[in-house]
Parts: sequence; C-alpha cells; structure tokens
Amino acid sequence: MGKSSLGRWVVAAAAVTFGALAVVLNALAGSHGEPAWQWVLAGAAVLASSGVGLLVAIRRPGHPIGWLLLANAFLLTTIGFAQAYAAYALQEQPGALPGPEWAVLWDQSAWPLLFAVLIAIAFVFPDGRLPSPRWRRVAFGAAASFAAFLVLSFFDPEPFEAPYERVDRPLPGLPEMLGVLWPLALLGMVASLFAGAQAVRVRFRRARGIERLQLRWLAYTAVLVPATLIVCLAGTLAADGVEQKDVFNALFFFMLGAIPTSVGVAVLRYRLYAIDRVINRTLVYGVLTLLLAGAYAATTLVLGTALGSGSAWPTAAATLLVSVAFRPLRVRVQDAVDRRFNRARYEARRQIVRFLDDLRAGRAAPEAVEPLLREVLSDPRLELRFFLPESELYVDGHGYPAGHQPDDGRVRTPVTRAGLPLGMVLHSPIDENRPGLLDEVVEGAGLAIEIARLRVELRRQLDEVDASRARIVSAGYQERRRLERDLHDGAQQRLISIGLALRHAQHELAVSPEEASDSIDGAVTEIDVAIEELQELARGVRPAQLDAGLTPALRELAARAPLPVQVKANEERFPQEIEAAAYFIASEGLTNAVKHSEARQVTLSAERLNGKLTVSISDDGIGGASATRGSGLRGLADRAAAHGGKLAIESNPDCGTVLTAELPCV
Amino acid sequence: MRVVIAEDQVLLREGLARLFEDGGHEVVASLADAEHLLPTVAGHRPDLVVLDVRMPPSFTDEGARAAKQIKEQHPELGVLVLSQHIETAHAVELVTQGGFGYLLKNRVLDVGAFLAAAERVATGGSALDPQVVASLVSPGRAKEDPLAALSAREREVLELMAEGLTNAGIAKRLVLSERTVEAHVRSVLMKLSIPESGDAHRRVLAVLAHLTAAQIQY
Repeated sequence: MGKSSLGRWVVAAAAVTFGALAVVLNALAGSHGEPAWQWVLAGAAVLASSGVGLLVAIRRPGHPIGWLLLANAFLLTTIGFAQAYAAYALQEQPGALPGPEWAVLWDQSAWPLLFAVLIAIAFVFPDGRLPSPRWRRVAFGAAASFAAFLVLSFFDPEPFEAPYERVDRPLPGLPEMLGVLWPLALLGMVASLFAGAQAVRVRFRRARGIERLQLRWLAYTAVLVPATLIVCLAGTLAADGVEQKDVFNALFFFMLGAIPTSVGVAVLRYRLYAIDRVINRTLVYGVLTLLLAGAYAATTLVLGTALGSGSAWPTAAATLLVSVAFRPLRVRVQDAVDRRFNRARYEARRQIVRFLDDLRAGRAAPEAVEPLLREVLSDPRLELRFFLPESELYVDGHGYPAGHQPDDGRVRTPVTRAGLPLGMVLHSPIDENRPGLLDEVVEGAGLAIEIARLRVELRRQLDEVDASRARIVSAGYQERRRLERDLHDGAQQRLISIGLALRHAQHELAVSPEEASDSIDGAVTEIDVAIEELQELARGVRPAQLDAGLTPALRELAARAPLPVQVKANEERFPQEIEAAAYFIASEGLTNAVKHSEARQVTLSAERLNGKLTVSISDDGIGGASATRGSGLRGLADRAAAHGGKLAIESNPDCGTVLTAELPCV
Repeated sequence: MRVVIAEDQVLLREGLARLFEDGGHEVVASLADAEHLLPTVAGHRPDLVVLDVRMPPSFTDEGARAAKQIKEQHPELGVLVLSQHIETAHAVELVTQGGFGYLLKNRVLDVGAFLAAAERVATGGSALDPQVVASLVSPGRAKEDPLAALSAREREVLELMAEGLTNAGIAKRLVLSERTVEAHVRSVLMKLSIPESGDAHRRVLAVLAHLTAAQIQY
C-alpha cells in the first residue's frame, strides 16, 4: 500500500469518524441539536461522497476527482461535527468540552469550501485537467476569491451569528477597512460558480462519445445546484421563514449526495450508458407528477368550491381523474419528451410499433425485422442470427448455418427473451452518441425476432422432412433398381444359360447321348444355384423368417453373420411394418459393424421400452460412426423417422459403436 | 460366319459360343467386357459381333455405346445387341442403320429363329425384337392412327416386316404363300403411303421411320 493510497484511506476514515462523532454529539446535544432527518440526509451525502471518493481514488489513482470527493466528505463531516460539538459544549452542557469557540468558528466559516470543492469538480471533470490552459487563470481567480472569503470570515471582527453571538471569537479581527473586500470576494465566488457551469458547457460542446455521456451524468445532478438556489431564493422571498431553512438543508444535502454519486458513475464508467434513460425517465415522471398533481389540485378546488367543503366527492373525483389519466398521459409525455430530446429513439420506436402492427395485421412478414433493424439503426451491415436450441446452431434468415463471430469489425449483441437466447445481432460498433438505442430497438422488436426465429426453425425442420422423404424415395428407387438388376443379370441370365445348355444337350443327343447327359446334369446344377439366388433375393425383399417374428429373424441374421452375434430379444410380436423396419435396421447395422468396425463381437437386442420397440446394435469395435458420414446410417435414420421413431448413434474408440433405434408401437 | 461375342456372364457367354458352334459357325473371340471389343473386332474382322447391352463396369449402356462405335468404324459389319429388357430408344436408333439387330436375350432359346436373325444381320439385314415392334405398333395411340386402317393380317405382316423379315421369311412364319404375302405388303405400304421398294432392308427402314415418326408425333 503506497503513501497516497494510505492517505485516501486515512481521509475517508477521518471523514467517517468525524461523522460518527457528530452523530453522537448531536444526540447528546438533545433539543439543541439538528433534527434527525437532517442527519440521515447528511449521513447519506457523506457516505456517498466518501465511498465514491474512495472508489475513484482506488480505481483511478492520481485522478483529482477522487481526492475532491474525499475532501467534500471530510468537509461535510467536520462541519457537522463542529456544529454538534458547539451545540453540546455551549448549549446542552456548557463547559463540558474544551475549545467550543473553534467549533463555532469552523461551523460558521468553512461552508464556502463545500462550494469550492463542487466548483473544482466542475473545472476538472471528467479527465482531471482544466478544459484548456487559459482556464488556469480562471481557476486561480476562483481560488483567490474563496481564499479571501475564508480569511475574511475567519478573521471577521463581527460577533458570531445566532445563537452564539456572545461567544468570543478565538482569532483576532481584521481592521474594519478591509470590510470593503467582502463584496469583492463574494462576487468572485458567484463568478466562480458561473465559471464552473461554463466549464461544463464548454466541455460538453466539444465532447464526443464517452466524455459526452460523462458530462451528461454530471449535468444531470448539477441541475440541483441552481434548483437549490432558486428554491432557497423563493423561500426567502416568500418570507414565511419557518421551514425554509429545513427545505434548503434537505435540498442541499441531497445535492451533496447526488453530485458525488453521478460524478463517480461518470468517472468509473459504471452504467455510463444508462444516463439517457435516467434523464428521460426523470423528465417523464417529473412532468407527469406535476401534471397529475396540478390536475388533482384543480379538480379538488373546483369541485370543492362547487359542492362545498366537507364533501367526499371532490377527492374521489380527483383520484378517479388522476388514475384514469395516468396511462394515456404517461404515453403522451413520454412521446413528447422523446420527440424533444431523443429524436432517434422516438423515430425508432414509432417504426417498430408500426411494424408490429403490420405484423399483427398480416401486412408484414416477421422476417422483415432484419431490414427494419438495419433501417432503424442506420446500419446496412447489420445482420440477425437465429439460435436453434435443438442443433445449437446459429443460422441466418434463410435457415442456413452462418457465422456468429464476425471478423470484419462488427460487434455482436445477444438477443434474449425471457432469459432464453433467441439469437445474435451483428452490427457495426455503436455510435457513442446514440447509446442504448440498439438495446431498446432489439428489445422492442423482440417479439418479431422470436416469431422469425420460430419460422426459421420450422422451415429448417420442414426442409429436413422433405430431404428425408426424398432420401427415402430415392432409397426405395435404388432398392428397386438393385432388385431389377439382380433379377435381370442374375436369375434371368442363369435361366437363359440353362436354356442354352439344354439346347446344346438337344443338339448333342443326336451325336453322343453321354455328353448330352452331362450337359443336362450341368443344367440341373445351374437350376439349383438359380433357386438359391432367388431365395437370397427374396430375403433381401423381405425375409420369410419375419413371418415367425422378429426374434427368429434376428437369430437367423446372427447365424449367417461372419462373427459371433448375441441376440437379446423375447418372443413379443409387434406390428408387421415395425418388425420389418426393426429387422432392416438390425441387418444394416450388423452389416456396417462387420464391414467397418473391426469388432470381435456384436450384440443385437430388441425390446419394448416405454411403448417403443427399441432395437440396438452394439459392437466392441473402433467406433467412428456418424450419421453425417456415409449414407448408410442416414438411410437407417430416415427409415426410423418414417415410422415416427428416431435413431441414436453413439460411437467412440473406447466402447465401440451403439446404434439405437426407437420405433413407436402402440 | 465368323462371330465375336461380348458377354460378361460366363455361362451365357459359353452357351452362346456353343450355340453358334453347334449351328456351324466359328466363334473367333469371346470377351467379358466392352473395353477390348473394338481392337478385337479390328483384329479379327468378323462377320458378326454379338454383344450384351449391359456390361461392366457401370452396367448401364456400355454395350449399346460399343455397338454404335463399331458401326461407325465398320459400317459393313453386322452387330447384334442382346438385351435383358426392352429399350425402344436405343433399338430403333441403331436398327435404322442396317446390318444391325436388337433382340431380347431369351430369343436365343429359339435357336433356329435366332440364328436366322443373326445371319440376316451379318449380311446387312435387320432384326428387331418382336416386343419392340409390338410396342411401336401398339394400338390406341391416336384417333387418326393410320395403323387403324390395317386388317389383322396386314398388321401381322407389318410387324414381321418391321422385325426385318423378307417376304419369304414372312410367308414361312405365317404359313402363307409368298404371293399372298406380297399382296399384303403392297396393301400395307399403300395404306401407310410408304413407297414400294424391292430391298427388304430399305423397306424395314421405311416402316420403322413411319412407325417412330408416328409415335413421336402422337
């Protein structure tokens, strides 16, 4: 921990300690202390100021704002402490504590420093430097004014203000003639206040991007400074005098807490971009509150006059009016505020609302949301990617898999709805002067994006169904073609050659009957072979064993395999077409295992599980099977899908391949 | 007659060879595929090449393509294509060149007719399988079908003409006198407006051209 970092902890700790002591002393001072609510506000202001100051000092060491905030907290608590000390030591228990006159002096003379700190913040916010070198003179003038004012008030020959007018000043008074400096110093201080405002304005005008947002944050709470002054002035003019000090104090402490908070947000850039929304909401709800309160008051007044006081009707009517007016009024006010202060957002929202109306009325397709976003955000490079949870893929509007990690300088913003990922917006980096617009637009168009996503998903599934149907038809055609060729090239040719052999025998009969007999023998052998071929062919069309049930057919399949195959199945019967599908899946799976897996052992199993005939073919081979590689497994998947079932493939070198097909059977 | 055989099925190849030898012809070479057929034909200069439409490697139309090449390089050579099933397009296209035959494989069992057709092709005549012809002259093609004007007998004569038979051959097949056949032929040619020609082969061409044109037209 370096020297300066120790320093900021010491200052923060001192501020909090003084604050705590002030609270204790104030409590001890009893009726002479300030009311509790003021201490709560002041405490909040101190904690905000010291906490944010400490945070900024830690995160941005060397940044003067952190120190200024800590100084603000320190001043606040020491003044509060001095106030409570004086109240206790001079009013509640006179003589109980030493040096109360110093406390009075600090309490009554140090307050300009609080403004000095705020002005200093305005001068160096947000980068810690003055707006330009020329401002050094302004800063010097401000410092001189405050210094002069402090010296004048510390060494003032006049007595303390009430209620301590009879306490002796601990410091000697300056000569009377220096009293002419009072107005000068005061003028200098007021001028510094305006200079602070001007510094912020100058910066805001030339600021871009993040700095502009930072200044907006400061401006948002800095409005409280003139507001406080105006309220104070109004209170003085109203001359009621009873509660104006309380109102002033409340506003003052609120300001002292709010400004450090917004300064901290700006410097630390935490939720920097929310400022527009915050300002927007404040404006909307401020105006709304004023309007509703006005309407309530007017209604109550008018009806109260008409109906006479004491009637419950005016209140009821005013309440009804206010509650009925709230919603439409909010929309109007929001619109007005948007139109005045945030044209882009206003236009964007209108376009999206119109689009959603068109969508509902069937005049627009949900897919048009992509061009809409492009237009609203004036970003021609913007693209939407939809997330398909089933395949965990990102696809474009046509359903084709597409990259969602652009390498062309575009940025991705995820789109979610109810916590589920919908997709991704790929867009050019956000214009820093229009922050938050994208989020808002995407949120507004969320429904359309979700519908578009669902449609893309549906289209993909339909495409897959189409493709699978085409593959089934094609597989059927290939199968018939194979059969046709087997019949023509196999059986038919064999029969023709038998015929030829018999013709030859006929020819030989005349020459040598023995040779003719041999030829006929040959022909008969050929007939045997032809019969076997036909049997094999028929088995390929549909194995006769299936008549006896799936299990015997699987046993037959196992018996003809060139490696040990274990069959696990009971004698249960299933619908014919389901048994046939199961048999072919088992047969094809077994063929694959024999051909590709280098397995030593295969297990075929077929059983009913949860209303489905579950067929599995597992081997102890080298794995590496997948439906995307090779059309055989895809064909099986299609066959399973044709019966409303599905095929799962689990394949790795450690435990071989397991094909599992689930075929629903009621 | 010197014959070259190209047939991938060994039993059938041997059967065919024996058939020709039993019929007193000489089989100078027999091959299992169409690949070496052209050099073999060029070397042996046979009178007739008998080949299977479907042969390795792709089992689609290797034989038909080889037949075309042979006819291009040796127009005088007789080429007899054997097929497992009817493919009208190939058959008609090739048979109109003359010295060409297209028969279903099972025709070989009718040894006499088969050898006669083979001899006809070897001497520049044609042999079109009756099934192909039947598909060309099948009735009910169109209202104004000129074939509708033919009598049953005339239609039989037409089909045999299309198969490539001569008047004598037709007379023998239908057990009629040659004169009767000649009368039928004249009547058929007249009804179909085909100019008469003494040459049996040219007559086949005309008939086929008429039939295929009709088939394309309707």
